Amino acid sequence: MDGRKPNPPVGRKKRSLRFFFALFFAKGTALVLKLIGRKGTSMPGSWAIILCPDFLARMPRPKTVLAITGTNGKTTVSNMVEDVLSGCGYDFVCNRAGTNVHTGVASALIANSTLFGKPKKKELAVFEVDERSAGNILPQLQPDILLCTNIFQDSFKRNAHPEFIVDILSRHIPGGTRLVLNADDLLCAGIKPGNQRVYFGAGPLPGDTQLCENLVQNVRVCPQCGQPLAWEYRRYHHIGKARCPACGFRSPQADYFATLSEDGAMAVTIQGEEYRLPLPDSAPMQVYNSLAAAALLSEFGLSPRQLAEQMGRLTVSESRYSEKEVGGRKLILHMAKGQNPVACSRAFDNIRQYPGKKAAVLFLDDFFDAARSVENTAWLYDADFEFLAGEDVVQIVVAGARHWDVYLRLLMAGVDPGRVVHMRGTGEAAGALDPEKAEAVFILYDVYTIALANQVREQIGKRITEKAGGGRHDN
Amino acid sequence: MIIEVLFPQQCGLFGDLGNVRYLQKCLPQAEFIETPMGGRPLFASGGEAPALVYLGPMTERTQEKAIGALAPYKEALREHIGKGGACLFTGNALEALGAYIQDGDRRIDCLGLLPVYAKRDMLHRHNSVFLGGFQGQRVMGFKSQFTMCWPTGGEAFQDGLFRVEKGTGLYPHCPVEGVRTQNFFGTYLLGPVLLLNPGFTRYLLEKMGVERPALAFAQEMEAAYQQRLQDMS
Repeated sequence: MDGRKPNPPVGRKKRSLRFFFALFFAKGTALVLKLIGRKGTSMPGSWAIILCPDFLARMPRPKTVLAITGTNGKTTVSNMVEDVLSGCGYDFVCNRAGTNVHTGVASALIANSTLFGKPKKKELAVFEVDERSAGNILPQLQPDILLCTNIFQDSFKRNAHPEFIVDILSRHIPGGTRLVLNADDLLCAGIKPGNQRVYFGAGPLPGDTQLCENLVQNVRVCPQCGQPLAWEYRRYHHIGKARCPACGFRSPQADYFATLSEDGAMAVTIQGEEYRLPLPDSAPMQVYNSLAAAALLSEFGLSPRQLAEQMGRLTVSESRYSEKEVGGRKLILHMAKGQNPVACSRAFDNIRQYPGKKAAVLFLDDFFDAARSVENTAWLYDADFEFLAGEDVVQIVVAGARHWDVYLRLLMAGVDPGRVVHMRGTGEAAGALDPEKAEAVFILYDVYTIALANQVREQIGKRITEKAGGGRHDN
Repeated sequence: MIIEVLFPQQCGLFGDLGNVRYLQKCLPQAEFIETPMGGRPLFASGGEAPALVYLGPMTERTQEKAIGALAPYKEALREHIGKGGACLFTGNALEALGAYIQDGDRRIDCLGLLPVYAKRDMLHRHNSVFLGGFQGQRVMGFKSQFTMCWPTGGEAFQDGLFRVEKGTGLYPHCPVEGVRTQNFFGTYLLGPVLLLNPGFTRYLLEKMGVERPALAFAQEMEAAYQQRLQDMS
């Protein structure tokens, strides 16, 4: 770890009889689950915490723990960090196959432990941590380094508003945890002010502006004096570089500063020296994800040469974004997390920025609400549907229980109603699309509707192939 | 016609400025004036009275600043409401006009224009779907909040805005949601409430002095409303 000593185990507790009972029960549960062929469940951790509520504080942890949190990008960044560490030969425990709440972290630690709870992989753990659940994880786990990718408006129901999440993190991050924070996000940069920290930030990127087009802008005034901020540049929402003309407050200086080179690589300045790191994708969000991963790994102790070698091998997870070409047309799956106006706005912006004529199929309903209730539609009015109003978005298909609400939102955004088709049944979406109108078809889906998105892409692909002469469509 | 939007830079959480954007579509000739926090509100300026004063939901820290910003104009706001001036306060905005907000051991004094107080519990977020009645029509919306609101007198609340049919009113088992006094309409309903409820929106426009109010996207709005009602039943 680059000569730095790990945190002393402040706040961690001794193993008790209750702890051992919970551990044995959880291990038994894991064994039963394995025998019946179920994987990736957080049930062992759930049982452990039910039986011993401070289980995480008593469970021995590997010597070094890296944690990754934030509103958007934490799964992508965690996957990148884990892939780079694996490529460098590190053997570590992580919660990639499970959940990012306390039960998922507990399950990962249980799976990595001996009968009496000692870690099998003793040196390192990497955990993705749900920011809303930070209070149930961070004080007990005491991570050595915590990366926060960004803080944005997320689900109104669960995360309320960004100030609420910043308060949770600031309250529960242990004092000894070193922080890796986003210098271009004033909400993120202000977390837990007393802790040791480094910042990452990106220089000018294509599309930067001084006027923000997004509806959601959670930092509009100076966090210190409340006066309006002046922006050197804005990227999206509150991401950018700001200063306060009234009190002199400004965005922090980045310790890891990235610029984009013409060949699509990222040049990162680390301690005054510039290193080139390959990027899997040069979209601004992906620049931040790669930069965040590089900053965390560098703080952990990897050399710039190791980072460059391994980051060149990374790809964006296909479950979040994937392109296929059928009959000369791009069919693009793009995750747009439901009830998350910022994630959806980023997806809409990506559609807007994509060259040529585009069509979009929107599956935006929350899977569970659509099945059981009426989804809270308020988030639609924080998402930038206005980005879909351009004439190059030639067709929009909306399908799902709330299709009338999404249609109304599109009309409010100025989208030509002649370009929108909407229906309740998701199975009819592929048939409603005219794939010949567009050079690229985006299919936007929520976390729980990836199977539906894949199925629709296949159906659209078949239609394109059939229209082109009935050839075989390969998936 | 002038519509005053109070503190839109800070008080527009949960998509609720959609209410204002929708009014802009319904009333293209109206002038919308945004009053920044710290500025003198139009309703207190002595000039033309706004046809509607709108205040949207905000964070808890912003709420205290908003109460402070409105405090010097409390009597002007009382007068505006007393004269039948229309106001729409959504989400936790209505709490600013109540007596106080109880946050654990801390009491935050508010403007004292409404006979209610709020209890804040940051450890428990209340989320629910609401169905109610208003002037013989059904009103629906969504609640997502850290507070519940109670009458200061302790008696059953009389000045409710919507009669509860399904979901939660101002407090658990309260028969009403929201607060109404004259043409002041305060509701916790999100959605945004005007886009969800064509009947209520028409009524509000009438109270603002709009003759024969016409709703923008009326057919689509009605279809979405009927679909939601059907899905709730």
